[in-house]
Amino acid sequence: MATKPPSKTNTKLRSKVRAKVKHPQTQSKPGHSKSKKSASIQKNSRSQHYSFKRYLFGFIALSLIAFSAYLYFLNHLINQRFDGDTWALPSRIYARPLELYTGMSLNQESLKFELELSTYQRVRYRPKPGQYRLLNQSIDLYTQDFEYSDSVEPGRLVNIKFVGDKVTGIKDLVSNKPLKLHRLPPAIIGSYHPQNGEDRLLLASDRIPEQLQKILIAVEDKQFFSHFGINPVSIVRALIANVRAGKTVQGGSTLTQQLAKNLFLTAERSLLRKINEAFIALLLEARFSKQTILAAYINEVFLLQQNRIAIHGFELASQRLFKLPIEQLSTDKLALLVGMVKGPSSYNPIAHPVAALTRRNLVLRVMRDEKLIDPTEYAHLTKQPLGTVKRLPGVNPFPAYVDLVKRQLKSSYSSSELSAKGLRIFTPFDPLVQRALHTGLKNGLLRFGQPNLQSAVVIADYLNGDIQALTGDSQVDYPGFNRAVMAQRPIGSLIKPLLLYSLLDGNRSLATPANDKEINIKQSDGNVWTPKNYDRQFHGKMTLYQAFVKSYNLPFVNFGVEGGLEALVKNLERIDLLKHEVVYPSILLGTSAMSALEVAQMFQVIANNGYFTPLTTIRQVSDKDNRVLDRMPLKSQKIFNQAQMIQVQRAMVGVVEEGTAKYLNTRFKGQTLAGKTGTTNDARDSWFSGFSDRLLGVVWLGNDDNKPINLTGSSGALRVWADIMTQQKIKPFKISRDAALEWRYINRNNGGLTKQHCANSVLLPFIKSQIPTTRSACE
Amino acid sequence: MYPARINLIRTRSTKIGLILLSLLAASCSVPTINTDQYQGEITTEQASDGPVVELHRLAISALNQKQYDRSVNYLQRAIKIEPRNAHSWHYLAQSYWHKKNYLQCLDMIERSYSYSKVEDDLDRANDALKTQCLAG
Repeated sequence: MATKPPSKTNTKLRSKVRAKVKHPQTQSKPGHSKSKKSASIQKNSRSQHYSFKRYLFGFIALSLIAFSAYLYFLNHLINQRFDGDTWALPSRIYARPLELYTGMSLNQESLKFELELSTYQRVRYRPKPGQYRLLNQSIDLYTQDFEYSDSVEPGRLVNIKFVGDKVTGIKDLVSNKPLKLHRLPPAIIGSYHPQNGEDRLLLASDRIPEQLQKILIAVEDKQFFSHFGINPVSIVRALIANVRAGKTVQGGSTLTQQLAKNLFLTAERSLLRKINEAFIALLLEARFSKQTILAAYINEVFLLQQNRIAIHGFELASQRLFKLPIEQLSTDKLALLVGMVKGPSSYNPIAHPVAALTRRNLVLRVMRDEKLIDPTEYAHLTKQPLGTVKRLPGVNPFPAYVDLVKRQLKSSYSSSELSAKGLRIFTPFDPLVQRALHTGLKNGLLRFGQPNLQSAVVIADYLNGDIQALTGDSQVDYPGFNRAVMAQRPIGSLIKPLLLYSLLDGNRSLATPANDKEINIKQSDGNVWTPKNYDRQFHGKMTLYQAFVKSYNLPFVNFGVEGGLEALVKNLERIDLLKHEVVYPSILLGTSAMSALEVAQMFQVIANNGYFTPLTTIRQVSDKDNRVLDRMPLKSQKIFNQAQMIQVQRAMVGVVEEGTAKYLNTRFKGQTLAGKTGTTNDARDSWFSGFSDRLLGVVWLGNDDNKPINLTGSSGALRVWADIMTQQKIKPFKISRDAALEWRYINRNNGGLTKQHCANSVLLPFIKSQIPTTRSACE
Repeated sequence: MYPARINLIRTRSTKIGLILLSLLAASCSVPTINTDQYQGEITTEQASDGPVVELHRLAISALNQKQYDRSVNYLQRAIKIEPRNAHSWHYLAQSYWHKKNYLQCLDMIERSYSYSKVEDDLDRANDALKTQCLAG
């Protein structure tokens, strides 16, 4: 039978029983009572002593076991933190890198804007890395090294010359040679922050400036290199000072203790926390070099609060406050950052500049006393202004775009990967196009005098699928409901270009007669649908081209019932935009709801000659070590007939020349543009989609509660589109040449061949077999 | 002689007149239409010192070193600068062929065709590459 090991209680009981058993023996021999008594006392005392020793040993052994377990636990915590990813690193979302080359369209002011967004600092002297200087019609710029997945773009000191809106030369100012191409590192436009709301940029040990280390040690922990994690002398000194003052005026913690607290403990003031802190500090010192501990401290320390984001580490604080990497900070700026360690909130130089200046000068005084700077330097440095930015750059200045990036990433990455693994997400976001969007939208909306009017805008390069700019709210920097992606609204006549393509699929051409006559359609539920034109008039016979440019509804519904509906459904399916299983004829007039982004995808195919290129906000995802995790290559799939699509494009040019978007003629004189307006019932939604040589823009206006806005596509969204594109300086749209097409002048009313100078003539492309054979009299 | 001469002249002038008339008629029935207002020339700019040519050079060098992802990156940059350059799309198709991504290769060739003017060499190269991609 297995016996239990003696427990502490069992041992006690046994010694009591032994004592009881011995007592009767002593009582049975009275003659030796005295000596026996003393022997018994001696024995008793020995036995008690023996028991005490056993208790003590037991206690010590147990304490040692508990202490070992405690240390093991602390060590395990340290392992967990240092063996894996020490810090949760936010993922960064980058804009596109700006390619600079001679002949490109870019003016000095636009490059300045790009540089400011990329946190370059403007200076008046020859720039250092991360700085630029504005000169008369040129910019001297020192770019910083940037690591792409396939190469490192080295930082260069270059001069960029401008004449008007063109770059006329790029020169390397070190080699004094012209450059064919120079890629400007991309700006960070957003981040995925960890759950704890911390943001930091890691600084490798070899990048930490020596001066920063010296200042930090001089101010926070003079004996850093000589103590073993805790500094008893410093603790006693602090204790005395605090007792004398009657409150906490001095801390005795070493840098290692502070790191221990920051990494593993809370800010709670308790003895237990202090004990834990001390032991962790001892373990850290036993396991890691001083340099590793210092580097960890420099990356960990909390320095600044920006809205809900806590900025940790000197590198990010330096970039946010001075727009400079830490290596480029002058001594006074380093002194300010070190001074902020004591009280990131109290010494925030933007909120409390006076307190921050006093604190910085105190740090400089310590530096002088520690002989890190001489008195002359001290006198000079204390006179320097703080030199920080006036306002911290916005945490999320482009919320709608960043929101779409996050949505597109969610299918491939978990939230924890995105918020903690330091991924680098490269997008085609174009800050200059987004700026044009912001300004144009703001100006455009002012004209309507409707404070609650909402909007969504998507701007994309239809040739390569890059979504360059996007907004989902009339207040462009408001990070709320992203209407460009989420709001599904009926698109009205924006369906007509694809419907026209579907109609041209058969034997129809732009000159095919169309009938603008009443039609009643009995639907499957027994109801009769009687569509109407927007002006509620009938316009008789005309060409398909004329019906399209004037956006008459009835000819399209008439064609729809003759097979156009089936073709439209098939074509919507091909671009994955058919939303309903049951299709009603009213889809011919755009009752099907889409988001602005989906509309943009539909028009991408139309503008790009029938080549489907998925619109995207992501080009590449790399890990923090620049290994590529995902590439989103340029895709281009031919899904529609080019010759047919060119006819649609020509009709859309007609909309701008003489149709519902004629307003653009006055705004962009002499420029060929293509577009289509869209209005829904009771003017609840106002749409316009149009394109130039490369850019496609989709604008939606409406109310969230779906109340009428009393704006048509023409009087609403079209105007805003024009305001945005005016900012952008677009180039004219040119229809591609296609051997399958021949161009003829026809009479836009009856479709007969005519001559250029004749009334109602219009030049249209035709597939050879569909060239009209009838002639129209020349009026 | 004289009348005969006149006749001859008359016959000649009638012939010339008829030719001119027929030319005029022909020109009326098939008018020369200037479509420049709408149609663009395809730009296959090959200026020897342009940024696109520089990127082509880098892409070809990467291809020769079997660094296909790099060549794709260079060519996508070239396309961003000049999207209607038929050569960029052709080299991109080549890169995908090397990467054994034949569907992408075919798609890129289609774009190259759509932007190529009558450039026999490029069209021949596209034809040859298309055959190889289809075989892949």
